[in-house]
Amino acid sequence: MIVAALIALVQLDAAKSGKPSIIAVAVASTAYAFQTAAAAVSAAARNTGAAVVSTPRLFSENAALREKLQTLRGENARLNEALSRAPEARAIARAEAAAPGGVTATTIGYDPEDVSRQITLDRGSRDGIAAGDGVTNADGVVGRVTAVTPLESTVLLVTDGASKVPAVVQRGRWWGIATGTNGSIRLEYVSQDAKLRVGDVVVTGSGRSFRAGLPLGTIARVDHPEGSLYQSALVAPAVSFGRIARVVVAPRALRDAPSVEP
Amino acid sequence: MPVRSDDDIARTRAFWASSKPSDAIAPAFVPDPPTWWHVGVALLAALVLQSTFAPALAFRGATVSFVTLLVVWYGLRTGWAYGLLFGTIAGSCDDALAGSTGVAWTFATALCGAIAGCAARTQLAETRWTLVGGVAALTLLRYGAFAIGMQMQNRPLALPETHLHAALWQSVLHAVVAVVVLRFGPEIGGRFAYRR
Repeated sequence: MIVAALIALVQLDAAKSGKPSIIAVAVASTAYAFQTAAAAVSAAARNTGAAVVSTPRLFSENAALREKLQTLRGENARLNEALSRAPEARAIARAEAAAPGGVTATTIGYDPEDVSRQITLDRGSRDGIAAGDGVTNADGVVGRVTAVTPLESTVLLVTDGASKVPAVVQRGRWWGIATGTNGSIRLEYVSQDAKLRVGDVVVTGSGRSFRAGLPLGTIARVDHPEGSLYQSALVAPAVSFGRIARVVVAPRALRDAPSVEP
Repeated sequence: MPVRSDDDIARTRAFWASSKPSDAIAPAFVPDPPTWWHVGVALLAALVLQSTFAPALAFRGATVSFVTLLVVWYGLRTGWAYGLLFGTIAGSCDDALAGSTGVAWTFATALCGAIAGCAARTQLAETRWTLVGGVAALTLLRYGAFAIGMQMQNRPLALPETHLHAALWQSVLHAVVAVVVLRFGPEIGGRFAYRR
């Protein structure tokens, strides 16, 4: 009776003050702990039950997802490869557009003794390539075919010392001969009255192997030898000869076509 | 290659081992010449390597020519006739791959193989330093013979000073390779029967 009276008094006192009584706080706290534990156990039991029930379905779903992942990985690899090839494909498309009817070829080798600057292509006379055909890529002039077998052809690069290509400085239409230096190109036999400048673009003139206007490079240095009839210039090649993968060989009919060069 | 009996080989080895480097005495034959198919495979590998990676192997404008080294080695291990034959085959392969050199490499490499073969059973083929010098000299000779061969075919080499520079560097590179092979050769398979 006395305890009941005390509890009632405490509750009444708390009710009057509008605050939760100490008994209410203690009961609520204890209940909270039990309720939380009970809820956790209940949820765990529910989840375990669900998992047990759905295990076969999960296995099949997992297998399906793995298969899908594998497919997506393959597709991703294909797309990445296509993406990495896109610039090269665009470059080849540009080179083919510049030389319609040209034969696209891949570089497969070099001079075994590295005595001359030349490359070997995987296309030969069977594909219509003949000695003297001009070879270009998207950046400009690569070289000239010097030897052909039915399956492959050898191209002398414009940077080889034996290569000579008629050339024109685009800005002033001054003529010269582009000769290889085994590393870059030298524009020779340019008239002394030509006002050559560093950065001038040099293109092919009309010749046996190339139609006019194909980029050879840009002038990097101008030399005016004293007492000489001609001046010369060092030309930085337009083509990066360190990595020539795909090129286009201009067929005979194309190089015999009327030129736009005056 | 004539087949020798074990007794012949043992006698030649003993005779050669007992002679001094200053003796001008040569053995009757090379006791253990390389087999033709080993050399054929090596030539094929050298040609593929060079024609695929030549620009990548270049150093100061010169490239190590494994074909030259192989021909010199084979000549030294067999004799002038086999050296000449192998040099001709290797050189013609070089010409075929180069495309526009005519028969210049055939001529130069055959000469190189024959001259290396002339030293096959002499004291020159014994001493490391004469071998190293010989390899460098034969490299220059081969390049020079190639230039003459091109000239004879009315295809003179452009930029001769560049080629001279490349030839000198190539002879240096070959000498370095020869030093390495002679130093570590026995471990990597380059057995020299007469090495002291």
